Amino acid sequence: MHEVNWGIHVILYLFLAGLGAGAVVVSGSVLLRKGGFGSSRFAVARWGALIGPIPAMLGTFLLVFELGQPFRALNLFKVINLSPMSIGSWFLVLFIFFSLLYALTFLPRSAGPGDRLARMRRTLAWICVPSGIGVAIYTGILLGAMPARPFWNSPILAGLFLLSAVSSGVAVILLMGVFFRRKSTDPAVRDDYHNSAYLLTATDAIILGGELVIIFLFLLFAQLTIGDVRYAVAEILPGGQLAMPFWVLVVGFGVFIPFVIEIIEIRPRLLSGGVFRSRMAVEVVVPILILIGGFTLRYVVVIAGQISASAAL
Amino acid sequence: MNAKQRQLASRRGFMQKLVGGAAVTSAVVAVPALTTATSAAKEKKPRNKHYGMLIDTRKCIGCHSCSVACKAEFDVPLGFTRSWVEYTEKGNYPNVSRHFLPRLCNHCRHPQCVDVCPTGATYKRKQDGIVVVDTGLCIGCKYCIQACPYDARFLNPVTGFADKCDFCIHRVSKGLDPACVNSCVGGARIFGDISDPDSEISRQLATNPVTVLRPGKGTEPNVYYIAADHSSEHENKRGWYDVRVTTHRREKKRR
Repeated sequence: MHEVNWGIHVILYLFLAGLGAGAVVVSGSVLLRKGGFGSSRFAVARWGALIGPIPAMLGTFLLVFELGQPFRALNLFKVINLSPMSIGSWFLVLFIFFSLLYALTFLPRSAGPGDRLARMRRTLAWICVPSGIGVAIYTGILLGAMPARPFWNSPILAGLFLLSAVSSGVAVILLMGVFFRRKSTDPAVRDDYHNSAYLLTATDAIILGGELVIIFLFLLFAQLTIGDVRYAVAEILPGGQLAMPFWVLVVGFGVFIPFVIEIIEIRPRLLSGGVFRSRMAVEVVVPILILIGGFTLRYVVVIAGQISASAAL
Repeated sequence: MNAKQRQLASRRGFMQKLVGGAAVTSAVVAVPALTTATSAAKEKKPRNKHYGMLIDTRKCIGCHSCSVACKAEFDVPLGFTRSWVEYTEKGNYPNVSRHFLPRLCNHCRHPQCVDVCPTGATYKRKQDGIVVVDTGLCIGCKYCIQACPYDARFLNPVTGFADKCDFCIHRVSKGLDPACVNSCVGGARIFGDISDPDSEISRQLATNPVTVLRPGKGTEPNVYYIAADHSSEHENKRGWYDVRVTTHRREKKRR
């Protein structure tokens, strides 16, 4: 058995940091967006901003304590070099700092579009979106940077992690909506609610579609090559040690089923101008499936990279 | 370092001073007019070395004395190895063979571990090409361990820092051979400055067919082998003959 040097702490960090960054990126881009969906955008932005920093900080905490000597982590900030981990840690610190400030602007109960914090909120969103994308994408670059690990050594992994992060961010915002906004009796709020749910569901459908494309390309090119990469990717193909979690939990439950459900849901409004009415069962099940898929994706990738190796000496 | 080594080192230092002094004296005596030339020669920096190792596996008897010497030299914690010997057994009876493959850090020309280190704790020394770990900067993130195609690194459980072979930098800087070279009963290891064309290792490299491990990774190792068997257990998939690799490490499988 190969040594697994990066275990559950790292896997959880990759998932949680992606989730937090994804939620803030969605929040920021929805806030900055012009046109359509009226005030429903603000509610989405608010929940994304409030939830985002929490998993990001929790993941970072796990990662720092995985080192065994937490204060040594400060050495990361004595230098900046071209190591993906160095650039990633600077991004992470920037992201946590500014996403906390961004979350604070949403904290007052009176927070709403056009209040006195609006300018600052927009400025912070302009910082949070790129730094959040940085955090989400660097985790894939971090793994992809090493020829010694043929399973990870693919530029497309970073894209997969980015899409998966944004998709988990959308999922967690949808879940928050179910818990905190659905019960309102005010018809205006209810309309708003369905409007924002449509925005999120449609966005998520596009992202999940992109994930399917990337997974397809990843597998296709691994199969088209010969040598190390092909042997490594056999771990997740039928007959491999990680085939079950990959195909059932990641591809099936995590991407394909949510994608199909969301397409069915948004189809009437998207194609024939019908009315979108978000259903509670869908709103709960789809995000949970996406979150399970997002975690399992990190798990499968991190483990598969470490149990596979170069064939020839 | 024991008393004998210290004595040796200081004797060597004395000899160097003696020789250096003689050289300066003769230069002053011989060419008093060419003062500009001598001052230019004085300012010239010492030439950078590039240490490397050549392992003649035909002379290796698989006795592990290199591994033991290394363990003793660095007090490497139980279960971990900076230097180790792999056995490769292959064939079907009666056509069988066993080959020994001593392993250590390759001190690559393009070390991936250095590229990925986020704090600059691991770096390749300009003056002698040795890849070292600065424990004052290492955070124990294990990124370098992931990046090494040779599995030469490990997390030292006592210190919590990344650890690996450093070509016995403390011995080499005093003019001694690394512990594994010193202890090799078959004389299978030649250590020296590859950038010096007159060194023993350079002459042997120039006159023997040599290979390095995993050349396809682009790392350009500085540990060379004569007659190394590159067979791996992966070849068992073909089903023609059996290959069994015994790593003699905690990691039972070669990475």
